[in-house]
Amino acid sequence: MTGVSTSAATLPVASTGRVHAAVKPVLWLALGLLAIEVLVMALEIRPYYLPRPSAIAANIMATPGAYLAGLWRTFLETALGFVAGSLFGVLMAVIFHRWVTLRELFFPLFVVSQTIPVIAFGAVVVLWFGNTLFAKAVISFYISFLPVTVNTLLGFSSVDPRQVQLMRSFGANDVQILRRLYLPAALPQLFVALKLASSLALVGAIVGEWFGDTTGLGVLLLQAMYNENVVGIWATIVVSACLGMGLYSLVSLAERKIVFWGGEQ
Amino acid sequence: MSAYMQSDSARQIGRGLAGALLVAAIWELSARGLNLPAYVLPSVTSILGGLVNDAASLAKAARYTAAESFAGYVIGCLVGMAAAVLVTMIPAARSVVLPLATAINSVPVVAYSPLVLLWFGMGMASKIVMVAVAVSFTIFLSTIAGLDRVDRKSVDLIRSFGAGRLAVLWRLRLPTALPLIIAGMRVSTVRSVIVAIVTEMLGAYDGLGWIIYQAVLQIDFVKVWAAIIVASSISLTFFGAISFIERRYVFWR
Amino acid sequence: MLNRRNVLAAFAAAAIGLQGIGMGAAPAAAQDMVDASLRLKWLTQAQFAGFYVALEKGYYKEEGINLTINPGGPNLLTENLVATGADTFGLSGGTDSVFAARDKGMPIVCIGVSHQVTPFVFVSHKDGPVQTVADFKGKKITTWFTGANHVLSAMLSKVGVDPKEADIQPQQVSVTPFVDRQVDVVTATRYNELYVINQRVGKDKLDLFVPEDSGVSFPRDTLIVSEQTAAEKPELIEKFLRASVKGWKDAFANEKEAIDIIMKISPTLDRAQQEFMLTEVKTLMTAGKASTDGLFTIDKTAVGSANDLLAQYGVISKPVDLDAAFNASFIDTIPAEERRL
Repeated sequence: MTGVSTSAATLPVASTGRVHAAVKPVLWLALGLLAIEVLVMALEIRPYYLPRPSAIAANIMATPGAYLAGLWRTFLETALGFVAGSLFGVLMAVIFHRWVTLRELFFPLFVVSQTIPVIAFGAVVVLWFGNTLFAKAVISFYISFLPVTVNTLLGFSSVDPRQVQLMRSFGANDVQILRRLYLPAALPQLFVALKLASSLALVGAIVGEWFGDTTGLGVLLLQAMYNENVVGIWATIVVSACLGMGLYSLVSLAERKIVFWGGEQ
Repeated sequence: MSAYMQSDSARQIGRGLAGALLVAAIWELSARGLNLPAYVLPSVTSILGGLVNDAASLAKAARYTAAESFAGYVIGCLVGMAAAVLVTMIPAARSVVLPLATAINSVPVVAYSPLVLLWFGMGMASKIVMVAVAVSFTIFLSTIAGLDRVDRKSVDLIRSFGAGRLAVLWRLRLPTALPLIIAGMRVSTVRSVIVAIVTEMLGAYDGLGWIIYQAVLQIDFVKVWAAIIVASSISLTFFGAISFIERRYVFWR
Repeated sequence: MLNRRNVLAAFAAAAIGLQGIGMGAAPAAAQDMVDASLRLKWLTQAQFAGFYVALEKGYYKEEGINLTINPGGPNLLTENLVATGADTFGLSGGTDSVFAARDKGMPIVCIGVSHQVTPFVFVSHKDGPVQTVADFKGKKITTWFTGANHVLSAMLSKVGVDPKEADIQPQQVSVTPFVDRQVDVVTATRYNELYVINQRVGKDKLDLFVPEDSGVSFPRDTLIVSEQTAAEKPELIEKFLRASVKGWKDAFANEKEAIDIIMKISPTLDRAQQEFMLTEVKTLMTAGKASTDGLFTIDKTAVGSANDLLAQYGVISKPVDLDAAFNASFIDTIPAEERRL
């Protein structure tokens, strides 16, 4: 499992700070937007290359309903795929941890599966899963579970075998050892993976919407792109960014609550 | 992820191959046994046949895509690391840049692809830019995490011997960060190939993504799968190469 | 792969289960309603207005069809989804994709042709180096490699230019290279790209080259069903066509209302562009034989010429059996006077 331990450590982590640490970047962001606004106006940059931030905001405000509906739909797909992917990821880690043969047989294939661009399978996905919200969630699920498996396995490997023996000597069964020892030990690594999985799940949902849909951020993006509506593209990027950051913060929040609580036990 | 690549024992490799063969056999049997049409699921053997038939065009496209991925990858790694070092050297920049980078990183890369295509055109440049953007954020964040692993006491110690900021960086921070940086580089390999392909599918003159796009429109699903197998092999080779370098040159355990 | 599929299959089962719950909660509609779906070739836009109008006004319901309209996407092939039964009806690429699908043995049948004439034109700058089709020689041209390239080849051959003598490149997404004059000739659908080019270059600064002027015709936007549906549910097809024709006639009679319906579904679209699109689509749908025989007429002569063209360029291995690929019996059950505008 040497490889697992290294790769998991790489998953991008950024310490999301406390409230005051969050206010400062917001101020800088506002200042930055203002600077861009002034620059675009002063240099007369064509909106085709870079629209003014106020134009982007106006675009969103012109049809807020469309963006809200898209946001909500994409959020549902992402959330469903993310939750399913996380649960499945942890489950696979438990299975792979318990049965080494299975791990050696199938883990490499899991890795291979992640090198396949899902976008190539539009028709197959629709064929198998129809045109529902779940079809998009399946794609979210597909591209988000592996980091969770990898990191959970890594977390498991950090458990001291002597502790396992100790618990066994007190008559603890496998499930108890898993719940009391392995899972808490894997929590910090797991959350690193969950943060990555949340953004991957969002990518999956957006790409999934390219397989024919009426609402969603992915649809808005495609529509704006093929109509060469640059302001529309930017507007969708901004809304996607908000969703991405929101998910990331949610996971971070859960991390602080749960890992802290887990640490106290 | 690299259990596959780093498995030292023959048993692990053997089992990995056995798993792959097992899946291929079940795939082949179900495609043939259920008589599935190629547009649902072509059999493994017909895909291999397609690989041979289209070898020339696939090889050309593979070189194109590999070149884009590699160029973007190298640029992305350099930019990501340089930005991380800069941010570490100038602590004031940190509290601004880090949250912003996290925010930008949370936007799916695919969302930028239309803009990048409009700005940089349909050629190689747009793919290289996309890959570079995707890779640089991953590398930036993992480099920062790596540079931060140095504990204060070591820094204070080396400083007390009169070492400047640069020396601290070169002697202490970078060596400590190396394992995390290179592990980030390894994960980015797969991502770089996928990003190049996805961008090609939205607009390109050549490459595997373009072949896939055309093949879907021409209803040639064997070709789609063949191109995907080629893409997957490029990712795995790239991944394996970085893993090899990692094992060979980074001793950190 | 097995793992993945199993897991996905499990998910599908869960999804179906959940859908079931959703349906249970919905008010039970009339018992004899038939569920069907229409897969479009692209995202919701005025190009498909008639279907949305028919849906919105309940024309499909009146015919006993509970229709769902599924938009397309950049990597979806309508023929594929209809052949496998994922969708009942499809508005697919055009005669080109129907022929390609038949050639690959996909069991699909065309039941109506929407755009009677080639919906795309080749565009050059009026003050540029290209004034006639013969001028295409040695110039940089972008086009779609899904059929339009063969139309281009045929047009060039007619004026004695070997297609190899022109620098023909694949075209995707953006017309900016043409606007910026990096490309001499660009391909544009009359209802979409042409609008963008008109906006950015100016309508009177452009030269248009129409395939029909060179005697090449390429009808597009074809309505398709699977062979199975055609054999087993002819009444369903007739009902669907009747409702669709009604929707399209309404859309053309009251364009504002049609655009309102489209804009309600996709509010981020540019209304002016959608209005332009609907006007152009009207011209395309009522051109040629449709002016006498009505909407969705299958003009066997035009379709046959496309068939020969594709066979000539080796896109399809041999000319496709026209009568098997295009079945006009369904649309012919609706009298021409009901289909004419």
